[in-house]
Amino acid sequence: MGAGAVAIGVYFLLPPDGQSLFYVVIGAACVATIFVGSAWNLPRGERLAWQLFGLGLAGQVAGDAIFAVYEVSLNREPPSPSVADVFYLGGYPLLAIGVLLVLRRLGGQTSRTAILDTAIIFSGVALVQWVFFIDPYKHMAFGTESARLVAMAYPAMDVLLLVALAQLLVGPGGRTLAYRLLLASVALWIVADELYGLNVDTYQGGDWIDALWLGSYVVWAAAALEPSMAHIAEPDRRRLPRLTNTRLALLAAASFTAPVALLIERAAHHRVHAFVIALGGATLAAVVLLRLAGLVHAVERAGRAERAARREAEQAQQLLAYQNQQLLEIDRLKDEFVSSISHELRTPLTSIAGYVELLLEEEEDPGKRGHLTIVERNAERLLALVSDLLFAARLQYGQLELERRPVDLQTLVLQAIDSARPRALAASVQLGGDTVPVPKMRGEPAKLAQLLDNLVSNAIKFTPRDGRVDVRLSARDRMIRVEVSDTGIGIPDAERERLFERFFRAQSALEREIQGTGLGLYISKAIVDAHGGRIGVDSAPGEGTTFVVELPVAE
Amino acid sequence: MSDGGLLVLCADDDEDILTLVSLRLRRAGYDVATARDGDAAIEIARTRSPALAVLDVMMPRRTGYQVLEELRGDERLRDIKVILLSARVQESDIARGLEAGADAYMAKPFKAKELVAKVEELLGARA
Repeated sequence: MGAGAVAIGVYFLLPPDGQSLFYVVIGAACVATIFVGSAWNLPRGERLAWQLFGLGLAGQVAGDAIFAVYEVSLNREPPSPSVADVFYLGGYPLLAIGVLLVLRRLGGQTSRTAILDTAIIFSGVALVQWVFFIDPYKHMAFGTESARLVAMAYPAMDVLLLVALAQLLVGPGGRTLAYRLLLASVALWIVADELYGLNVDTYQGGDWIDALWLGSYVVWAAAALEPSMAHIAEPDRRRLPRLTNTRLALLAAASFTAPVALLIERAAHHRVHAFVIALGGATLAAVVLLRLAGLVHAVERAGRAERAARREAEQAQQLLAYQNQQLLEIDRLKDEFVSSISHELRTPLTSIAGYVELLLEEEEDPGKRGHLTIVERNAERLLALVSDLLFAARLQYGQLELERRPVDLQTLVLQAIDSARPRALAASVQLGGDTVPVPKMRGEPAKLAQLLDNLVSNAIKFTPRDGRVDVRLSARDRMIRVEVSDTGIGIPDAERERLFERFFRAQSALEREIQGTGLGLYISKAIVDAHGGRIGVDSAPGEGTTFVVELPVAE
Repeated sequence: MSDGGLLVLCADDDEDILTLVSLRLRRAGYDVATARDGDAAIEIARTRSPALAVLDVMMPRRTGYQVLEELRGDERLRDIKVILLSARVQESDIARGLEAGADAYMAKPFKAKELVAKVEELLGARA
């Protein structure tokens, strides 16, 4: 670009002959640059659009060259029309087709809407070109009939480029530097052509309008060199065909060309091109009408699609509600099932326990009483097992639901110690309690009692004869701390992590045939969790174990 | 009508438990009428005006809850004390029983002493 700008500057310093030659040199350099740039930036097979640009510009340069030859060697302009015009005019469609090819690759340009928009812009541009640039040549008094026809062909060709420019303006391409350069070069070209058309009587070689044409060459070449031209054919998601403001402005401008042209002609006291303007206006009206119909259809289609989508969403929601209902029902059935199993198991146990109790009251024979006591104890164990299984089954469905009442944990701990005393005595284990008054906490007394009971019974179970179990209660930092320690067999490190899992049983417990289901600590942890507390264990095998429970005090 | 004590209605579909409860209450000095289902329980409540009813919750034809509702809805039967006896031990079951107007809710299995103590508590200390 810099080199191009310098070259253009140099061009204006040269004498007329040199100017003509240098003009051709700049043009040829730009054409070469376009071919080189496209070969550089694009893979084979994707260069067609840029090759068309190169050929189109080459046509212009060829025309310029013929002019230069005439001016330098024959010292006069070529006749009109001449071979130069063939090259010049031949270049226009190539350039326009090139632009349309670039746009085609962007997609979206072949849709009905895009075609109609193009038609609207084409009609408007054609109307203006005809009224202000093409038709005036017919009435000019210069050259032959054929010379005038050729002169008229240029603004006609500009219609092609103008449409291409409009398409570039509203196209969906990402606004890369290359895209902007391409747009600028087409714009410069058109401006130069139109200014030439307006100043055709005064134009001379070396005129400042040349700078615009040369600028267009250079910018076009710069676009071909710019690496982003490789991505020029990638649509920008945000720019997918919409009624953007630019598009709207262009369409509006095109639509108003007929009345504006009419007013300008009247104001300038030109002969009014009534037929052309009427035809153009009618065409524009028809195409705009078609475009409007397309919009209305699109809106209707969108409305239908939205209604369908809403219907689908409603159906999905109904299905979801139905499935939700079913899940609730399944949950209720499971709950019902667990409840009735529990009921079925408890009913015979009630009879067993009740009649054994009755027999024990009546039986005096110590041997039989001993047997009956064993039945009674096992019935109690079975009952505890049923309760634990019911508890665990409910935990499977989710979080434990708690009542939340103010609870005095000291009372519960003392009760737990009291009720464990007969078992401790039977096992020859000394049971000690060390409690202090602690703040109230919120929770469910029955569950907390079950927790304490589990921990104390466990400690007694795993402590050999003549051992000790100690229960300590303290409070610190808004946490109530319960420690249950024993001088039992201890828990190996490897087992400590799995201790709170459902149905987990320590190896030592299995070896020593200590009875249990593996549910006690699982349930204990669930109760502690539900109260927002923590449970942990500290143990040295052979020396003893301490379970620590921390529960938050009431806020 | 053995010794003219207060009449207690026992209703349970499990015959063994029904026998056990009746035996315990008779030994404690009450007259006992038994029913094997909800309909029979209501029939006895209407014809023999018991002072207290021990109702199993899960009974055929009419559940303990339904019998309770019937009693509470009848002006002449409203004052019968009711103990619900159930193998359902969920907090929600207990709460539902008490909300329905039971005077006590006892879980199966029950200790004989506890049941008798509860009956005596509800009927007032006996002379």
